Amino acid sequence: MKLSFLPSDMNWTCAPCGEPLQPGIVELRYMENVFKVELPVCPKCGTVLISEDLALGKMLEVEQLLEDK
Amino acid sequence: MDQQELRDWEAKCIQEEPPACRAGCPLNVDARAFVQAAAKDNMAAARTVLERSMPLAGIVARLCEAPCERFCVRGPLGGPIAIGLLERACVHLTTAPAKILRLPERPHKVTMVGAGPSSLAAAFELAKKGYPVTVLHQEPGPGARLRQLPQEILPSPILTEELQRLSGLGVVFQQVEKLDAALVASVTTEAIYLGLDDTLEPDLKTMLGEPDPFTFALSQSGWFCAGLDAEEAPDRLITDVAQGKEAAVSIDRFLQGASLTAGRTAPRCGNTDLFTNTHGIPARDRISPAVLEKYSREEAVQEAGRCIDCQCLECVRHCTYLAEYKAYPKVYARRVYNNSAIVKGVHQANRFINSCSLCRQCETLCPKDFSMADLCLDARRQMVRENRMPASAHWFTLEEMHSARDEGAFIRHAPGTTASRILFFPGCQLAGIRPQQTKALYDHLLLKEPETGIWLDCCGVPAHWAGRVDEFASVCKDIEKTWSSMGKPKVLAACSTCLKILREHVPAVTVDSVWKVLASEPVPGAKALPPLALTDPCNARLDTETQSAVRSLLQATGQQLTPLPMSGKLTECCGFGGLMENAAPATAKGVREARALQSDTGFLTYCAMCRDQLAKTGKPVAYLLDILFPVAAVAADAPPARISDRRINRRRLKKELLARYASSELPPEKPWQQLSLKIPESVLPLLEERRILEDDIRRVLYKKAEGGRYLVHAVDSVRLASARLGSVTFWVEYTLQDDIYLIRRCWSHRMTIAGGGEE
Repeated sequence: MKLSFLPSDMNWTCAPCGEPLQPGIVELRYMENVFKVELPVCPKCGTVLISEDLALGKMLEVEQLLEDK
Repeated sequence: MDQQELRDWEAKCIQEEPPACRAGCPLNVDARAFVQAAAKDNMAAARTVLERSMPLAGIVARLCEAPCERFCVRGPLGGPIAIGLLERACVHLTTAPAKILRLPERPHKVTMVGAGPSSLAAAFELAKKGYPVTVLHQEPGPGARLRQLPQEILPSPILTEELQRLSGLGVVFQQVEKLDAALVASVTTEAIYLGLDDTLEPDLKTMLGEPDPFTFALSQSGWFCAGLDAEEAPDRLITDVAQGKEAAVSIDRFLQGASLTAGRTAPRCGNTDLFTNTHGIPARDRISPAVLEKYSREEAVQEAGRCIDCQCLECVRHCTYLAEYKAYPKVYARRVYNNSAIVKGVHQANRFINSCSLCRQCETLCPKDFSMADLCLDARRQMVRENRMPASAHWFTLEEMHSARDEGAFIRHAPGTTASRILFFPGCQLAGIRPQQTKALYDHLLLKEPETGIWLDCCGVPAHWAGRVDEFASVCKDIEKTWSSMGKPKVLAACSTCLKILREHVPAVTVDSVWKVLASEPVPGAKALPPLALTDPCNARLDTETQSAVRSLLQATGQQLTPLPMSGKLTECCGFGGLMENAAPATAKGVREARALQSDTGFLTYCAMCRDQLAKTGKPVAYLLDILFPVAAVAADAPPARISDRRINRRRLKKELLARYASSELPPEKPWQQLSLKIPESVLPLLEERRILEDDIRRVLYKKAEGGRYLVHAVDSVRLASARLGSVTFWVEYTLQDDIYLIRRCWSHRMTIAGGGEE
């Protein structure tokens, strides 16, 4: 199953690479768990965009689940 | 916690003890549940409660002498609930259950000699358990004296109906001429019950001897005998029935080859440990039935409505946190135990354990001193020890402690002196929330004693509250060492939490409350505010000396205080204690809002954190120093210091104090501190809620400026920078104009991005 968290607004460019971000597979890690997800990535340097919605939504949910908070 | 410890904890909470009425019922009828159902006009549910413990309820409820009423807690407040009349109303208004469950038939048979109330009760109980029972009775039929009662008390159709219920359970009625020794000699069943509440012949009675008063067993194996009350005994009917029921328990045990006594509890006779606080419950007179000795449905509901519904819940009634989890400490102890016992799977009670404010109000209110603080703190320590404490549970305040002990820490003898007789320890929150007042108070102390040093630091309580035993021990050791290096002067603490922590955990340090020293003589210039409710900090709960000192200080200024019932030893937490604010912000909000509702006036505190927490409710809240030093006063309706302010204030205070020393060098400002930010008012609450500091934003932006990567929006040139600071990645969305960063949004997460450019 492919987990994709691409924001509706993909109009971001990496500085100083100057490359527009593109969908790419990224590894997110927390407490010895690894998740492969699709996120906006700079094709040149690999910089990833974690949107506000993702950070405060699904990501927080998974963090708290793993922490047993 | 092991199983024995769990049992010890559970035994301390008395909420599940029976109410006095139930304890006073020889049949152990849950009279509270019965009356509560009646109060809700649910007579069918009330009948079900009766049927659960009362054999042949159609008869017994009509005749019950209700000894329970003697123990009713409502008694002194308008008379006990008329439980007896309610029983009659209930059985009058309802019908007997159509079917009674009978267990599969057992091989052993029982004979009842005599058919009085005790025999019928015993027959009912044994028949339900599956024993084939034969009741031997004389003319004119089973029931003995029940047949002699007036029709208005026990109508014969009811007696017939209840006897039919017995027949329905397989009970066989057999008429005999006499209940005598010869008859008993002819009985061949394994167990015999002899009911003395029927007419037994003298030759049989003389054979019996005295039964065991607890099991009703006779010396003859398999013989049981009850119904012992004399004719004129006040509670004869209910006692006979209860004895029959108990004898049935013994007969069942005997036939199963089990001990007659093991695990069996003696009748409570009204004794219970359940505590019910009747303070503030107005007296209400018992409802008199319009028709003699008989309630209508409306009268019954009205009378049942007088029931206090005895519960302890002393702690839960006063604690928003305990109420939020919808149970009481006995249940909570079990949850905490289960939570610790889970090896794999979700720990359901982690948040519960981490949210308690550890304020100890519960143990002060509890008649048995049940301490949720000890329960939760032990569980937190275990979680830390077993490396399963959620990393984010107490993270923010622990970081604040580290900051206060590092960049906020400062200790010096007074300028121009080389020793200290006194060392003033304001505490990290006073320094962070009221830096100018901290200075004013220090200057006042210097006037009284020139050799007064200053010590800005954190007492380490966040580590203690978080269950981090090793880290807290290390802070305590450090505090003692630092104090020794200053020549071991007397420490004066302004914060009640620091005072308690130093007293209990760093006993070598001589420490007292600064308010006690101030109370020794009037503070010049002090000025009273309009009347306010004084809320004691929870950590001063047992510190009566400090409480009195504060009150005398206030009295000297002419400050009027409005009543606040939950104060002194019963005071409440503001929602910050025990790291509640960290682990469960919504619970903390509920706690402070509940506190704010307890007074119509504004509040007054002598804890800086209590001041700011309560001020979040919008209520005017003054801090003691607003009265003592009006020149440095902050308005009671001023908003609380923001989380960023507290860090900045501590640094500024340290700098200002340091500037008093001629030869001292000011610590250089960190390069990231020099960035210019503009944070719109609309963004500030977001930072507060998400616990993002201006320091965090500056550090992220500084890293970006020093060559870090960032993103630019292709349409509106908005920029987005991020950086990993400790265990958290922060994101800052901003625009840059003339070297000023205009902050738009900020967020954070704890997950890391593999190879995603995080440093």
